[in-house]
Amino acid sequence: MSIDVSGLTKTFGDFVALDDVTVSLPTGQLTALLGPSGGGKSTLLRIIAGLDTADAGTVTIEGREATNLPARKRNVGFVFQHYAVFKHMSVAKNVAFGLEIRKRPRAEIDKRVAELLELVHLSQFRDRMPSQLSGGQRQRMALARALAVEPTVLLLDEPFGALDAKVRKELRDWLRRLHDEVHTTTIFVTHDQEEALEVADEIVVINDGRVEQVGSPDTLYDKPANDFVMRFLGETTDLAGQTVRPHDIDVSMSPGVAGSTPGTVTRILRVGFEVRVTVTTDDGAEALVTMTRTLARSTGVEEGAKVWLTAAKGATAVPVMRAV
Amino acid sequence: MSTATARVAGGRPARVRRPASRHSLTKGSALGLGVGMIWFSLLVLIPLTAVVWTAGEGGLGTFKDALTNKQTFNALKLTVLSSLAVTGVNIVMGTVIAWVLVRDRFPGKKLLDLVIDIPFAMPTIVAGLVLLSLYGAESPLGLEWNNTRKAVLLALAFVTVPFVVRTVQPVLEEMDTDVEDAAASLGASRATTFRRVILPTLAPAIFAGATLSFARAISEYGSLVLLSGNLPNRTEVASVRVYSAIEGGNQQSAAAVATILLLVALVAIVVFDLIQRRLARRG
Ligand SMILES: Nc1ncnc2c1ncn2[C@@H]1O[C@H](COP(=O)(O)OP(=O)(O)OP(=O)(O)O)[C@@H](O)[C@H]1O
Ligand SMILES: [Mg+2]
Repeated sequence: MSIDVSGLTKTFGDFVALDDVTVSLPTGQLTALLGPSGGGKSTLLRIIAGLDTADAGTVTIEGREATNLPARKRNVGFVFQHYAVFKHMSVAKNVAFGLEIRKRPRAEIDKRVAELLELVHLSQFRDRMPSQLSGGQRQRMALARALAVEPTVLLLDEPFGALDAKVRKELRDWLRRLHDEVHTTTIFVTHDQEEALEVADEIVVINDGRVEQVGSPDTLYDKPANDFVMRFLGETTDLAGQTVRPHDIDVSMSPGVAGSTPGTVTRILRVGFEVRVTVTTDDGAEALVTMTRTLARSTGVEEGAKVWLTAAKGATAVPVMRAV
Repeated sequence: MSTATARVAGGRPARVRRPASRHSLTKGSALGLGVGMIWFSLLVLIPLTAVVWTAGEGGLGTFKDALTNKQTFNALKLTVLSSLAVTGVNIVMGTVIAWVLVRDRFPGKKLLDLVIDIPFAMPTIVAGLVLLSLYGAESPLGLEWNNTRKAVLLALAFVTVPFVVRTVQPVLEEMDTDVEDAAASLGASRATTFRRVILPTLAPAIFAGATLSFARAISEYGSLVLLSGNLPNRTEVASVRVYSAIEGGNQQSAAAVATILLLVALVAIVVFDLIQRRLARRG
């Protein structure tokens, strides 16, 4: 049981936003849809929620065929990047909306709303209007509103995208803990790789309307399917036809190791504990190496020095496929 | 469900707003307020007071005479009821037209958007002529509505079309469709979403348009005199009564009818505002 998306295709005019996407998102987990802007993440999320319709393909939610079900019958909670609050309703009213639609008894609604406001730490703001809340508070209210109807799936489209870095990080940690308590199957969209790696159980990398890779954060980091995934998950550099991470390159002052790439140090930049060394290899390419200050000092790396580069043992490397 | 672990450190206390001091205006806004008040007084308050004054000179009797005059009473009744009916139609049709203009795509949309203002922009007597040639004797449409009450409704509807459309349109354009999507994902049908989410947002604009439309309708003259025929007790409206009272040299009676119209307008503004507030708060 899970959310199964199969053969999903969506075009806007000539533009293909989703191209035959098939992916299965496990129940009870926190899954991140990660990818660059315009990759089709929101489109996929909206189709799962029934807010958009696909041109082809099917959506199954917990075993229930949902492809032709309207949004209101899918029992899916949706949280929008820009909150989408009901401006004319108080915080409590906003949260109660879904329950009132379902015609639950008043007492039950009040109880549930109180619980949810407690959960998102907005109890003292229950009678405020949304315009009197900060962005982070508004988004927590939106989350409570979505959770109120006990959705089968919770979908969040860049929920913290409009918030400043600090609040965003706090809310991201909080979302993780919330998920550990509530266990609702949750999918959230982000284009921030750090957010995905830190919070998600499972990451789906989407680019150009296609799924590039699905896997746990560790799998993606250690065994990226291609250089796109690798590049997207953090800083990379090219060395001898391979994409590697700059901290996974060994620098040697002598041509000791077979297959090492000779080059000259052209630039050294110290950023805090880290030293960023730019090496122009003998064939004219540039490679970036990062190391700790201590290591740089003990190796004797300096501008103009002749060095030999090798990928460290066990380093993650994939062949360079596309132009950067 | 334990909530102890889920804590947000970022729950910043809401900023305490500096209480807006009521008595100190900045120089700029004091000047603005002063100029505004003088302008408003010269244009509106003083002439209005003069009318009410003229009407009041004859004491309450003038009003009583005006209202007990059958012809005047009927004219007022026709004016207010027709204006209410037309405003009701505008509330619905204006909102629908605005919706279509903002949300739908169809050929000729740009043209419709341009044409909407014409009934309002053209000189009213020209509007009257247009209506007369279309709905008058020997109507090309086969609708000979001249000298009937239909003519009054038609003329009022014609000149007040743009009001609600033009007040609602910008609000709809600004409205985020995310909110509707949110309501749908929470289980609301289109009808419920419209009633509980869209309508409260549009209500202030709809009723601003309705107030303008009503005010215009109770004072309309030019566009309906030609078609309605001004038959006493049948198709004669209040503004025509005011005109003929002045023609007949009865300033006081004219001022009395004018003052009654003024009161009706004021009551309408207040009532529309109350309904609007109610709608905007519901949800
Ligand atoms: N209603 C629409 N009409 C036309 N094109 C659209 C529409 N919605 C999305 N697109 C296009 O589809 C592509 C995918 O959009 P989508 O919103 O899914 O991207 P995304 O991955 O969510 O990006 P972001 O991270 O910037 O939100 C984009 O190139 C976008 O321009
Ligand atoms: Mg998006």
